[in-house]
Parts: sequence; C-alpha cells; structure tokens
Amino acid sequence: MSSTSAEQTTQAVSHTVLVVDDEPVSRTGMAARLKRLGYRVLEAGDGKAGLELLRRERPDLTILDWMMPELDGPSVCELVRRDPEICSSQILMMTGHDQPDQIAEGLARGADDFLSKAASSQEVAARVQAGMRAALMIRRLEHATGEIRRKQDAIERELQSAARYVESLLPLAGPLLPGVELAHAYRPALTLGGDLFDVLRWDNDQIGLYLLDASGHGVAPALRSAGLSTFLRGGGLRHQPGSRDPGGILTEANKQFPLSEEGNYFTIIFARLDVKTRTLSFASAGHNGAFLHHQSGGVTWLKNSSLPLGFSVPNLYETIRLPVSLSPGDRLYLFSDGVYEVPAPSGEMWGQERFAQAVMESGDLPMADVITRSVERAAQWLGHGHFPDDVAVMGVELKDEASVNGERGNTAR
Amino acid sequence: MQTKERVVPNGVVLDVTGDLTYANRDHFRAAVESVRKRGYRHLILNMAEVRFVDSSGLGLLALVAQNFKMNQGKLSMLKPQSYVRDIMTLANIPKLIPVYDNEADALAAYQMAA
Repeated sequence: MSSTSAEQTTQAVSHTVLVVDDEPVSRTGMAARLKRLGYRVLEAGDGKAGLELLRRERPDLTILDWMMPELDGPSVCELVRRDPEICSSQILMMTGHDQPDQIAEGLARGADDFLSKAASSQEVAARVQAGMRAALMIRRLEHATGEIRRKQDAIERELQSAARYVESLLPLAGPLLPGVELAHAYRPALTLGGDLFDVLRWDNDQIGLYLLDASGHGVAPALRSAGLSTFLRGGGLRHQPGSRDPGGILTEANKQFPLSEEGNYFTIIFARLDVKTRTLSFASAGHNGAFLHHQSGGVTWLKNSSLPLGFSVPNLYETIRLPVSLSPGDRLYLFSDGVYEVPAPSGEMWGQERFAQAVMESGDLPMADVITRSVERAAQWLGHGHFPDDVAVMGVELKDEASVNGERGNTAR
Repeated sequence: MQTKERVVPNGVVLDVTGDLTYANRDHFRAAVESVRKRGYRHLILNMAEVRFVDSSGLGLLALVAQNFKMNQGKLSMLKPQSYVRDIMTLANIPKLIPVYDNEADALAAYQMAA
C-alpha cells in the first residue's frame, strides 16, 4: 500500500498544471489546492503570459479562466489549437456560471473540459485527474508516433543506401569494346528495383549481355536479383564448361535459383554478341523483351517461348542463333516488361509493338536519346511518370566498320 | 477472387472466378493447399472465369504444379480465356500444366497416366 501511494505522489509531483487567471485570489486558491494534490503549479495573470508559459514550459494540463481582459480564455484556446507545437495541450476552462450555450461555445473554440469556479475540492481533484489522464495518453501517442517516424526514416535511409548499391551493379554507359557502345535507362517502381542488367566483357571480340526481372517489387526481389546477378557476373560461371553459351548459362542458373516459397522467380534474357563474326545468339527464360533494330530499318525480335527460371528443374534452355548477321549501326535492345506493360488511363496497354515503333521512329538519334525518348513515350501513354513496374532498357550499338578497325588497332592486347 | 470446389472421380475441380494476381495470392494458395493437404492427387483448375493472370499468378501456378508433382500428383487446367492462354503460352506454362478444353479429357488423361 505504502509503495503505491508513494508512486502516486511521485507521479503527481512530476506533473505540471498551469493556472491562468487574472483574479489573484481565485488563482492563488486554485494553485494551493493543486499543490496539496501533489502537482507542480505554474501561474499566469493574463492570457498572453499564460500562452507564453504554455509554449515555454509545456505543462501537462492548463486551467484557464474564461473572463480575462484582452486575451480571454476562448481566444487563448483558439491560439493554442492553431499552433502545431502546442495544439495537443489539455485545457480545462473555468467559468463562474456554467450555462449550456457557454459550455458549448468553449468546447467549440478548443477547450477539452469545463470546471465551475464553485466546484468542490473533490470535483476539482477528479477533473484535474481526468484531464491528466487524457494528457498522458496524448503524450504517449505523440511519443510513439515520433518513434515510428524515426524508425521509418531509418528504414528509408537504409533502402536508399541499398538502392545506391543496386544501381552500382549496373554497367557504365559508353564504349564496351572498340566499336561497341552501351546506353541504358533504369527506373525502379519503388526505391529498390527487381530488374537488373549487365554486360560481361569476355574478350576483345565477345560480350555477354543480360537483363533479368525478378517477379514482385521491393526488398526481397532486389536481393534475389543481386544474388542472380552476382552468379552471372562470375562466381557461378567461371568454372563451368562452355561458360559463354547463353543456353548453358541459363540451364545452370535454373538449377541454382529455384522458385521461392512464395512462388517468386526470374525471367531473363542472355545474349552473346560476337563483334568479329557479327553474330548474335541468345537464350531466354520466359523473357520476351528484346529486339535488334537494324540500321536499314525494321526490327528482328529475339523470341523464344521458354519457362522462367525455377519453373521446372532441371530444364534445358536452348541457345538460338539469330539468322541475320549484324551490320554497322545495328542496335540491340534488351528491356523489361515494365516499359511496355504500361496501361493508359483507359486501361489499354501500350504493348511491345508500340514500344518498338517508338524506338524506330527516333532511330536517327543517338541511342541514349532513343532510350530516353521511348521511356518518355511510355510515361505519356501512362499519363504520369510513376511506372507501376520497374523499367529497365539496355541498348548496345555496333558502330560502323571504319571506327571499329581504327580503334581495334590501337587497343590490341 | 472466388473459388469453388467440386469433387470428381480421382480429384477435385476448382472453379476460379476473378483475377489470378498478386492481390489474390493468399486466397488462391489457401484454396489449393487445402485440396492438396486432404490428399487429392489431381487438381483441375477451371480457368474459364479468370480474366487476368499477372506475373505473380504465373509463379503461383508453377509453385502449385511443383507441389502436386512432389506428392506424385498432377495439376491440370481447363478452358483458359484467350488472353490468359496467350500469357501462359509466352511463359511456356502448358509445358508444366496441361491445358484441356473439357473436364472429361482432363480426367481421362490423368486416369491413363495413373
């Protein structure tokens, strides 16, 4: 028992009540009653001084007289409610006569409760206690909200940092090999994206290119994508026989990356470009976004109906050699479905064909501009810039022969 | 999404209505797992009333096919609409999950295999 009452006293002592009243007698009387109840009491002799103390001391509860010269009680209430710093303060309004319409007006202008000047000691104690209860609840809520906000900020910062890491995995735009140029666009739907692409420089003649799309959005797909990308960039492939064979690479990746327990998976296209023989071969695992844009006009799609990674294990992925050889000025584009599965406000999808059309229409521009424009066209179709899915487009251009030969001589190993 | 179960000789037909998408994944998984856990070996998904399947839905179909296969069971599909059929063909799903145009064929194929 004694410990409980000691706790109550300590608790009360740490709580502060501000009494704002212009009549010294009534103010001092109220202050004395509150001190007897164990509260710390602050006093102010008018509305303005009360407001200043409220801002400076942040009392747990304020008892405010209605009738005061200049700034009266209801006006103080209104000012408090308009100030975001102190708007959650608990205010007990005190009046000499408690008429229903006055009470209604006081509550409407921002008071939390009423206290009659004629109230008994028991009633004062009970109302102050009730006000204190509400004040503490609000404090706790504010504290929890602040805590949540701080944690959310911390998570957001970590996501940003993870996103910078994912973007650091993307290749640099510019020359890949003498006579081969790279350009790309990458716009994750959330902070972290599940699309990734990269270029492997195997030697002075051959490069491997891939673009992958993890199903789902957010943290888990981004982690899974980074894992698969790391596998493709070296670790998993270096010691495999025939490690430059796109079909062989996907067959191996299929073994290493099964469906997640939620049914998440990858689609991927892996292409091999031989600059010397000007040939292109590829393998696809459920990925349909790739075409060769010929300098002479027109496109050749890299299409192959195939299972996404993890759908069936084991599974043999086929390497397909493009029946056409590449000419100088030809551009290979690999892209994720996020750039063409774009619904207009009417619901109609933009679609692969329109995307290819957009690429062809700006075909005379440098490749980086073609990519930028095509993504802009997709955004126009969408009606805004917030793509519902990750957008990734990678383009590789074979430059004209003269520049290839010229540069090749200079950079021979 | 709504699912309705019908017990047929040697299996269960699940009539699916709505979209097989990320938003409905929990409902779909629960409906399918309940059939599998009761020991039915053949699940026939009736897709006639499914308008849309997204990438998450495709993953679920593959997962369900794998889970049934693990228990020596089988997943079949009935009458997908043309748009859904196209999406599934692009991802080569019919290679994993046979597609039938009527229930009798789906049942007969399983009986022959069993």
